[in-house]
Amino acid sequence: MFTRDSTSFLKVIDANKGIIYKVANSYCRDEENRKDLIQEIILQLWLSFSKYDPSFKLSTWMYRIALNVSISFYRKESRRGRINQPFPEEIISLPAEKLPIEQNEELDMLQKFIRELKEIDRAVILLYLEGNSQQEIADILGLTVANVSTKVSRIKQTLKQKFATINR
Amino acid sequence: MEENQLLALWESYDRKLSQNLVLNRQNAEEITKIKVKSLLSGMQPIKIFAIIVGIVWVGFLDLIVFNVWAYASPMFLFAIGFHILLTKLSIGVYLYQLVLIKLVDINNPILDTQEKIAKLKSSTIWITRLLFLQLPAWTVFYWTKDLFQNLHVFQISIMVGVALGMAYLGVWLFKNIRFENRDKKWFKFLLSGKEWDPMMKSADLLQQIEEAKKEG
Repeated sequence: MFTRDSTSFLKVIDANKGIIYKVANSYCRDEENRKDLIQEIILQLWLSFSKYDPSFKLSTWMYRIALNVSISFYRKESRRGRINQPFPEEIISLPAEKLPIEQNEELDMLQKFIRELKEIDRAVILLYLEGNSQQEIADILGLTVANVSTKVSRIKQTLKQKFATINR
Repeated sequence: MEENQLLALWESYDRKLSQNLVLNRQNAEEITKIKVKSLLSGMQPIKIFAIIVGIVWVGFLDLIVFNVWAYASPMFLFAIGFHILLTKLSIGVYLYQLVLIKLVDINNPILDTQEKIAKLKSSTIWITRLLFLQLPAWTVFYWTKDLFQNLHVFQISIMVGVALGMAYLGVWLFKNIRFENRDKKWFKFLLSGKEWDPMMKSADLLQQIEEAKKEG
């Protein structure tokens, strides 16, 4: 049975915090803005929690909201103006001593190349790298499977070329 | 880098993240207590305010036209009528935006939701276009037969010249304030700043959505 109280919500967030972090990280490089984006995603997930349809995978719902919020996220002022209460500090974080995780050169390059893609392409490749099937990607994005397949091939080719350029 | 290497790299990143990411439960719990409606709820009050002010203003002008119809100069009636028409169209744009705000549901697929949000944000450019189109109305509303009879031909030439210039400028800006021209100097000079950036980004996004639908 799927309950909609805040305790269940926190469990869902804890179990899927990686999705939120990775999506936010792909759309927002600046650390301060990324913190805000993560907060905004969690806030919107909470506001939509009651609408979650369990016939869909939980991850499909989370990706939809996280990507929709990230793509529409322009700057923190736009959100600050909407909320009168003070916003809590960092919600999902990497402890300082664990930060070298992201200091892998190849991973750095991959993330840089992903951020250079346009918003929709970024969503496609992120969902692909996350191991979603083409049907799942199509459901999340609202495209046909054939369309997703073409896009994934094109974006993979672009990334391959970018890596080839730096390895020359 | 080959496909399997890409996937392996991402998988190792994912594994390390799941081992090390920390959720601050107390801060997360605070989020569930925040009173706020939705992603776009902040945009609603200003649209509603603009519609109310617009309706009151147009109602007031309609009343003036009704009362002065019999004796007002044709140019005054033309100018005020033109202004009323464009203001009503602007109110229509705000109503369209309110409908879009209601229709946006971030639980829906990305392309559908982003298309609505991008249309909502980019439609503000219509308000600006209509605003500029009104320029000539402000230069002719005081023209009367008596005024023309009492002025020197030189003064009349200046008045007509200004009116024609404003008409040309208004129509030119109405036609050319389009996202395709956003990189031109005059566009950036007229319409730049923080409030325009999301609108420009929305126009880019609309283009991406169109291309995304076609590809495949």
